Amino acid sequence: MQLNPEVLFLVAGFPVTNTVIATIITDIVIIAFVIIVSRAFTLMPGNMQNAIETIIDFFREIAEEISGERAVFIYPWVVSLFIFIAVSNLIAQFPGFESIRFHSSASEGHGVPFLRAATSDLNMTLALAVTSVIVTNYLGVKYKGIKAYVGRFLSFKIFPVFLFVGILEFTNEFTKLISFSFRLFGNIFAGEKVLATMYRLFPIGFPLPFVALELMVAVVQAIVFSMLTMVFMHIMTDKSH
Amino acid sequence: MELIHKFGLEPSLFLFQTINFLIIAFILKKFLFNPLKKMFDERKHKVEQCLQDVESARIALENANEEKQHILEEAENNAGTLIAAVKVSIEETKEQAAREAKDRSEQIVYDAKQKVAAEFENMSKQIGKISADISGKVISRVLSNLFTDEEKQKLISRALEKIDEKVTN
Repeated sequence: MQLNPEVLFLVAGFPVTNTVIATIITDIVIIAFVIIVSRAFTLMPGNMQNAIETIIDFFREIAEEISGERAVFIYPWVVSLFIFIAVSNLIAQFPGFESIRFHSSASEGHGVPFLRAATSDLNMTLALAVTSVIVTNYLGVKYKGIKAYVGRFLSFKIFPVFLFVGILEFTNEFTKLISFSFRLFGNIFAGEKVLATMYRLFPIGFPLPFVALELMVAVVQAIVFSMLTMVFMHIMTDKSH
Repeated sequence: MELIHKFGLEPSLFLFQTINFLIIAFILKKFLFNPLKKMFDERKHKVEQCLQDVESARIALENANEEKQHILEEAENNAGTLIAAVKVSIEETKEQAAREAKDRSEQIVYDAKQKVAAEFENMSKQIGKISADISGKVISRVLSNLFTDEEKQKLISRALEKIDEKVTN
């Protein structure tokens, strides 16, 4: 298993990797779930509706607690990130990921995995991080105004203290990208690597605790990513910061 | 560059993943969050309405309780007045009955006395009459031997007159 996703084939010059296939499966699962759940929305929720309402309520309540009325714009992004990352990570724990091999003219030996966790691709985690940071900054402009937003990065108050703080803040936006993307990528990639090693060494029984651990990591990483986004969105939109 | 290549960073893949997530976020917002928000609001509205209904019901219940209490107090007062009136009426009836009984008994006693007096008078008259007859007979027998018929007649008449006077007195 290598750091970069394995290209399975090309479609009009676009490299279809095993993580792209996993992403499409994730999309299908989420869309199917949304269609099934949204068709059966009632005032008295059933099990499925209850589950999704619990997740949304969990993030919405936290967002309302820390950000007040701004939560209306914050929580949909946060929940979207959580659902997308959690589903991507959990799907990767199903049998078939890493084990089904794909043979092409370019592949050698046992071929390459046909499916690989979408979040073990840095392109995916970086895309999520960039989206998160851009949306966070957009909300900052929306709630604080362009002047206050720019003032966060470029200020001549108590020269040169705030200028230096502004440079740090600006740098911080880029470090967010790195921390967001590499944290998720690193955790999921390392988890897959550990599981693959365990399956190779002791295929029966022994990997089960690691699978349980990976299931936990899958959810925890989704929570970490979405909660950090929420906190950054709160800080960026709060006028006192 | 080598590091980027090592991690497999590819602009087309990055763009694909970004657009893909934005589409998923849009779908989630449009078909999941918005309907759910609408449902939350509707539910909140219903809960508020139910709470209002409960509050109205509570107020109505309080009013009903107050009214009940008021009616009970009024009934209690009315009952007290009625009981007092009935007591008075009973006392009056009792007194009237006692008075009537007393009057009646007095009347009975009076009538009895009258009757006794009449009887006594009647009896006295009869006794007088009988005693006069007896006296007459006794005198006539005693005097029949001493006086002449004419003297006898005079004596008898005078004796009868005396008796009559005594009886009358």
